[in-house]
Amino acid sequence: MSTSTPSSPTLAEPLPTAPRGWHKLTRLIEPIVLLVPSGVWLLLLLVAPTLLILELSFIPGFRLGQPTGGYGIGNYLEIFRPIYFQVIWRSVLFAVGCTVTCMLLGFPVAYWIAVMAPPRWRNLLLVAFVLPLWTSSLLRAYAWITILRPSGSLNSLLSALHLPNQEWLNQTPAVYIGMAYSFLPYMVLILYASLEKLDKRLLEAASDLGATPQQTFWKVTVPQTLPGIAAGGLLVFITSLGEFVVPELLGGASSMTVSRLIYNQFLGATRNWGLGSSFSILMITGVSIAIALLLKYGDRDSALT
Amino acid sequence: MSSNQQNRFDRKSAHLPLPRFSPTRRRFLKTSAAIASGLALSNCARNLSNANTGSSPTGSPTDSATSASGKLYIYTWANYTDDELIKGFQEKTGIQVVADPFASNEIMMAKMQAGGGSAYSIIYPSDYTVIEMRESGMLTPLDHSRLQGLDTLKPKWQNPVYDRGNAHSIPAVWGTTGLIYDPQKVGKEIDGWSYIWDNRKSLTRQVTLIEDVREVMGATLRTLGYSYNTTNPDQIKKAYSKLVQIKPTIASFLTTGWEDQLASGDITISMVYSQDAIALIKEKPNLKYIVPKTGSSVWTDTMVIPKSAPNPDAAYAWMNYLLQPDVAAGLVERLGTATANQAAFDLLSPETQKDDRLFPTEAMLSKCEGVAPVPARITEVYDQYWTRLTSS
Repeated sequence: MSTSTPSSPTLAEPLPTAPRGWHKLTRLIEPIVLLVPSGVWLLLLLVAPTLLILELSFIPGFRLGQPTGGYGIGNYLEIFRPIYFQVIWRSVLFAVGCTVTCMLLGFPVAYWIAVMAPPRWRNLLLVAFVLPLWTSSLLRAYAWITILRPSGSLNSLLSALHLPNQEWLNQTPAVYIGMAYSFLPYMVLILYASLEKLDKRLLEAASDLGATPQQTFWKVTVPQTLPGIAAGGLLVFITSLGEFVVPELLGGASSMTVSRLIYNQFLGATRNWGLGSSFSILMITGVSIAIALLLKYGDRDSALT
Repeated sequence: MSSNQQNRFDRKSAHLPLPRFSPTRRRFLKTSAAIASGLALSNCARNLSNANTGSSPTGSPTDSATSASGKLYIYTWANYTDDELIKGFQEKTGIQVVADPFASNEIMMAKMQAGGGSAYSIIYPSDYTVIEMRESGMLTPLDHSRLQGLDTLKPKWQNPVYDRGNAHSIPAVWGTTGLIYDPQKVGKEIDGWSYIWDNRKSLTRQVTLIEDVREVMGATLRTLGYSYNTTNPDQIKKAYSKLVQIKPTIASFLTTGWEDQLASGDITISMVYSQDAIALIKEKPNLKYIVPKTGSSVWTDTMVIPKSAPNPDAAYAWMNYLLQPDVAAGLVERLGTATANQAAFDLLSPETQKDDRLFPTEAMLSKCEGVAPVPARITEVYDQYWTRLTSS
């Protein structure tokens, strides 16, 4: 520690009388000074509200402005009703589907940018890919409505090509399309960061030793980028699990997800804050587990980009 | 990250002093406001921090309002005010008005109860919400000696069931719930809710219903011959079973945001409030609004002064201004909002007076009911069936 703090020797050397206790003190104060601002921030805006939700979730049928009963686990028992299982299952399915789609669409793009595109174009290509993120996700969802609606651009195009029209809006396909579109840039960014570090000499070595391109891909490229794949997959899974805008705007009447259910319990037609809170806690728990997995198995360097 | 953008976006829209948006823009903002507040909720942690610290998800101008005495903040439905009204009021009283829109009574209530609406001196709750607000002690009893023109209200609104003697509220806009459709597309005249059930095979994802438990369940109850306000769980269950039959026809549950889809023919029929229907028909005269023959709901949006109002004097001035017959009549002509003021009604052109979408005939109204609050355990029954309907 004493060698790793280059600033303190200048302070300590001219003052040989300064006891080792001074060192100890700075070592104690430094982290506090550095951590307190963000600590207070997190405590006030994350930990305290989460605890509040936790409390509400243990008050069965809590509704604002109405007398409440005592504590109990009624809200959590409610979750186990088949209808809610269906909603949870649907949310997970959407998230998995979105993750797989993003992976299938994102990997070739990231591979191309990182490995095959001319190096001087790389940054430009990346920026071009991330550019949609600069607009509001709400606007992007509205754009998809314009495209997917029965009289929208997609069907005009299909008609022009003499193909059958598709009615995807207000159904599951629209949700998948909208969510995959929203999260694809994240996936590409993370995979790119991982693929960029790929040791290309190994690819050459593999082909020298007679591996076919497929073999090289599965035995050299994929194992090397596995942490990136895990990070990208989990990140997209986590964000799409909590996605609200796309299912709400594109999903119509038949794609209730957990986030929409929570919204309905707080601000929507049925205002049961207790039940909403228990679903929130369920969601927070699920996402926390996913984040723990991300930290354990993901490529942390690329996840941070 | 993106949700921050949402909030910024919404904050912008919530602060606009309500210029006259084109209807499309207005709708967009309305829906955006709803979505953005939902976004704040989808991040659950943020939601309760809002509730806890009393700052509102839509960024209410709390701080500036309590200090500025010459300002009146009102919390209202999106198209109930316009520039002309606000300018006229300012010229007369010197009070500057900022109108923030809400998309549903529920959102307004959540904000008020969470302490985020302390800036507002005037709120526009609907009839059943007036009862709810009064019962939870949120409303100031109105001092009738400070109000001029209450006697010019139509007799029906002199002593309404939701607020006897207008003790806490003044009716602002009223209307019905009904169906809007394109007669050319449908090929015939629709006269009631039963059309959806009779044609459910051919109407797959062609219908939008209002996102409101009591309106949708009530309309169905009504087709079964029951009351909108039934407290009999068996009748509610029957209504649910009937509603499930038309689930495949429902594209979406939308209180706003159906307009473009209906106008472009992407959906065939929408269940809507008369106020919104009239606004759209002004642009698209080929559409038609009907009050179902089996009866529907009739609603009143009111003006109230919350207990937390920072500027009650300005609130009374606003109420008095809107009670003036010429001002109220001007609003009807410009915004298509039906007035409960007899003196204002008398000033309207004969065509407007005879418009039965704006002012339904007594015969039509006799079959309509107002939605009234039901006991908490019955609310739960309604909510459970609604969740089952929307989650399947």
